[in-house]
Amino acid sequence: MRWRDPVIVCLISALSAVPAASAEAGVSVRDAWVRETPPGMNAMAGYMELRNNTSRPQVLVAASSSGFQSVMIHRTIVKDGMAGMVHASQIELAPKASLIFAPGGYHLMLMSPKRTLRAGDRVVINLEFRGGLVLPVAFGVRK
Amino acid sequence: MYKTSLKFSIMVTTLALAAVLAAVWLVDIDREHDSQATLLPDRVMTLFPDPKPLMAFALTDDRNRVFDLASLKGKWSFLFFGFTHCPDVCPTTLAVLARARDNIAKSTVGAESIIQFVFISVDPNRDTASKLRQYVDYFDTTFVGVTGDNAQIGALAGQLGAAYQVAITPGVENYPVYHSTAVFLVDPRARYHAVFTPPHDAGAISKRFKVVRELEAGNAT
Repeated sequence: MRWRDPVIVCLISALSAVPAASAEAGVSVRDAWVRETPPGMNAMAGYMELRNNTSRPQVLVAASSSGFQSVMIHRTIVKDGMAGMVHASQIELAPKASLIFAPGGYHLMLMSPKRTLRAGDRVVINLEFRGGLVLPVAFGVRK
Repeated sequence: MYKTSLKFSIMVTTLALAAVLAAVWLVDIDREHDSQATLLPDRVMTLFPDPKPLMAFALTDDRNRVFDLASLKGKWSFLFFGFTHCPDVCPTTLAVLARARDNIAKSTVGAESIIQFVFISVDPNRDTASKLRQYVDYFDTTFVGVTGDNAQIGALAGQLGAAYQVAITPGVENYPVYHSTAVFLVDPRARYHAVFTPPHDAGAISKRFKVVRELEAGNAT
């Protein structure tokens, strides 16, 4: 149960947010990449830097991609000296703030790629924000 | 009066701190040549002043050979606990360790016979020997994958204080696994010598290891 606490905190902060992402891309993404995995592995992780350019909070509610069986927003947390992953059902980006998805922290958990992805490949992942904004982002596969 | 005692206690505290820091920072490594190495206390590594000899354990490596206490003797071993279905922490750490190994190998003659890197899977249910072999090979062909049953893993993990928890759920393919993120350094006498704490950095690990080896060589003479 204790592993779920950060998720609940995330949920509460997300629920209190002002809704609706603007139609014109109010959120920009930089340095989007997926880590190449050893052969035979079906779980990959995607990283990026999200920036909210608007003066209102934006809430990332989901991510999807035709390149994978499923995409989930995860966060690695370390507790009692152990790392584990918790599912974050949504993440709020404060106005004019950046949020970094990086190794050891937030990441997109990419399950069962439809084809083998190697360094140099690209895969599109759609980031879905509350209010209907969908941002297609090309992620580069890196070693 | 109050001011004076406060000043005095600050002075005493400062002196005590300075003494502790000086003791940690300045370690003679080679008195013969009158040279000194400095070991800065930091978040990268904790070096144990009195390394604890490890006791017997028995695991199996990725070529189905026994990996036990004897396997740790004669080399410096970097140990990391994880599992192959781990998308974030494990590949990140193993990639760092592969770079750290490259750094050490570049500046060390015969690195092969001096260091080894061991990935210990806490998820034997999914991590067979052949899967482990394939997995560690991807990062560095010299890496060794090792696992065993829960009691066997616990026999080594317990001695290092490496926590882990596998939450196997019937019918769930992607059950969660929690594991220690530290990298444990065992010396050639199979003693738990030091621990590297995350976030791991290849340059920091290889530099600290160089100092650890110099210190150990100094102690031996």
